[in-house]
Amino acid sequence: METTISPIIKFFILQGVPMETIILILMLPLIATFIAFLRQVVGIKAFGIYTPLIITFAFLATNGLRYGIAIFLVILFLGMLMRFMLKPFRLLYLPRVAIMLTVVALFILLFLFFGGVIQRTGLASVSIFPIVIMITLVEKFVSVQIEKGDRTALILAFETLIISIIGFYIASWGTLRTMLLSYPWLILLTIPINIIIGKWTGLRISEYIRFRNILKKL
Amino acid sequence: MFQFFKNSKKLLGMNSRNLEFIRPYNLRGAKRLADDKLLSKKILRKNEIAIPRLIAKIKTIEDLENFDWQSLPTSFALKPSRGFGGEGIVVVYGKKKNRNDAWIKADRSIVTIDDLRNHIRNILDGSFSLSNTPDVAFFEERLQLLKLFKPYCYKGIPDIRIIVFNKVPIMAMLRLPTKESHGKANLQQGAVGVGIDMATGVTTTAIQGKSSFIEKIPDTELSVSGLKIPYWKDMLTLAVKTQKISKLGFLGVDVAIDKNLGPVILELNARPGLSIQVANLAGLAERLKRVSGLKIQTIAKGVRMGMDLFGGEIEEELEEISGKKVIGTIEKVRLMGKNGKEIEVEAKIDTGAFSTSIDTKIALELGFEDVLKYFSSLDLPKNFSREESKKIEEDLKRKYLEKHPDLADIIIIYSSSGVSVRPKIKISFILDGITITSKVNVIDRSELNYSAIIGKQDLRKFLIDVNK
Repeated sequence: METTISPIIKFFILQGVPMETIILILMLPLIATFIAFLRQVVGIKAFGIYTPLIITFAFLATNGLRYGIAIFLVILFLGMLMRFMLKPFRLLYLPRVAIMLTVVALFILLFLFFGGVIQRTGLASVSIFPIVIMITLVEKFVSVQIEKGDRTALILAFETLIISIIGFYIASWGTLRTMLLSYPWLILLTIPINIIIGKWTGLRISEYIRFRNILKKL
Repeated sequence: MFQFFKNSKKLLGMNSRNLEFIRPYNLRGAKRLADDKLLSKKILRKNEIAIPRLIAKIKTIEDLENFDWQSLPTSFALKPSRGFGGEGIVVVYGKKKNRNDAWIKADRSIVTIDDLRNHIRNILDGSFSLSNTPDVAFFEERLQLLKLFKPYCYKGIPDIRIIVFNKVPIMAMLRLPTKESHGKANLQQGAVGVGIDMATGVTTTAIQGKSSFIEKIPDTELSVSGLKIPYWKDMLTLAVKTQKISKLGFLGVDVAIDKNLGPVILELNARPGLSIQVANLAGLAERLKRVSGLKIQTIAKGVRMGMDLFGGEIEEELEEISGKKVIGTIEKVRLMGKNGKEIEVEAKIDTGAFSTSIDTKIALELGFEDVLKYFSSLDLPKNFSREESKKIEEDLKRKYLEKHPDLADIIIIYSSSGVSVRPKIKISFILDGITITSKVNVIDRSELNYSAIIGKQDLRKFLIDVNK
């Protein structure tokens, strides 16, 4: 395996850039393209492109997918609960989000502490960045909740979760990782692919489902 | 399955809407106009388009602090200027009795000045605007529900979405607020969307929410189809005018009908939704294709185009059921005379007359010169009473019929211009593709608007739509 590493990657590694970092950076355009494809061709919206992408990386950085998913779900649950609880106070948007962030932060701390108590050291030793990233998910969630309602916010959050999980598996796929190390220029292929996706004017798969009744009757 | 994919070409999807219609036809400046309700109100008013009257606007916290709450009328609507999907709108219907600081909402709950102040603060803060950018709040007069719509609506007021492209109105949908949508005419929140026949303004099929078909208005026994929307042509004209002013090539115009003001423009939408296709059981892509590239000179032309191209479903359905043709009150008729002579005239469809009548001049042109000359040479009685007319008519028939081969009958007719004795001739004419052979009477109609009227005796195969 070592022998197939592309010379340029070898050069980077020699300069002291960690291999994992290189792989993750090379993965970024692939996963972004994947999300673009899901949106334009399949019709899965999620929270835009940024949130699922960054959650994917948060998952990669938490030790194992299940902790990542657990934290994600806790955050969503708290987001729903806090919106309900803060409703009677009728607060302005930013202070309300700030209170939510406070509560979510405290809960995550408790969560980690709890992980330590039951000897789940994997949970307690999750690094700070993925946690912070996931906490900021609250803001996205709340803004969608206000704009489009609880149902849509939950659906989009669920779609984000699914995309991020698939993204996680793509990024941890051994064959793909070695391929990227051997042929890093492959990621340039995402540009023509995105040009094609960007000009795609056909119905999305989700639209075939949405319009299925009238497609029969037209 | 093949049909399924073939049909998909007729539908407009998100990708195509954004890339092929919004991007090229709705430029950024124009889009900004649609997204900003206050700005679009201002521009529309300047161009003398009817809109709900603006009462006051609140731009800053200072405006809010200095606002004179007692200047508000007993009913009004409070809206964010850049809100979307009907979010952030508060409508009050009257003042709370014996209180100066409270109003009543549609669901009988009470809103106080404090509530309003808080709501406005949220609006200013951008809670209801796209990507939470700071916004402006405004009060406008509350529209009053038309009696006709009352049984169809749960609180709230319905509106009509009209999609206009290239000056042609191509599809429309009536949106009815329901209990599920909390009195809002918003499909995403569970309102009912009813498809409309473009030619007549009569409702056809309907959906509730985004895609479930319904036959009856929820919680009622009212059928969704067959409701005739008033001011139909006026609304289409208003929509096309609005498109011209807004410079948005692909536009969704929301029109509401006020009891006193008639049709008014509620708001403009530069990114109209796609559910209208489901409500109408018709594809937008197909209709857009038919209209694009056409050179439409005038607004009236565009409106007529939309009505002609995308209407007629109701009519076809009716014709199928009844086996009769639907015609309007004025129709083109092709008259066939002697020796293959044909003339096309505009005729009035007149159910108040029994027999069909044509102008003397036309009869002459059709080759009935001889019989008319013969008839005018006869010594016809004048000044007789109505009682005598029956007898006189019979006498005349006995005396003169069969004296001339073209004289098919003689008839005495009482009309608004007095009594007249008229000859009848036998001719054929084509009305809306159907050939009718009949005995028609001949009289001088040069003073009248139409040179021919079609009477009851020749209308058995038709239904008459007075709106056509």
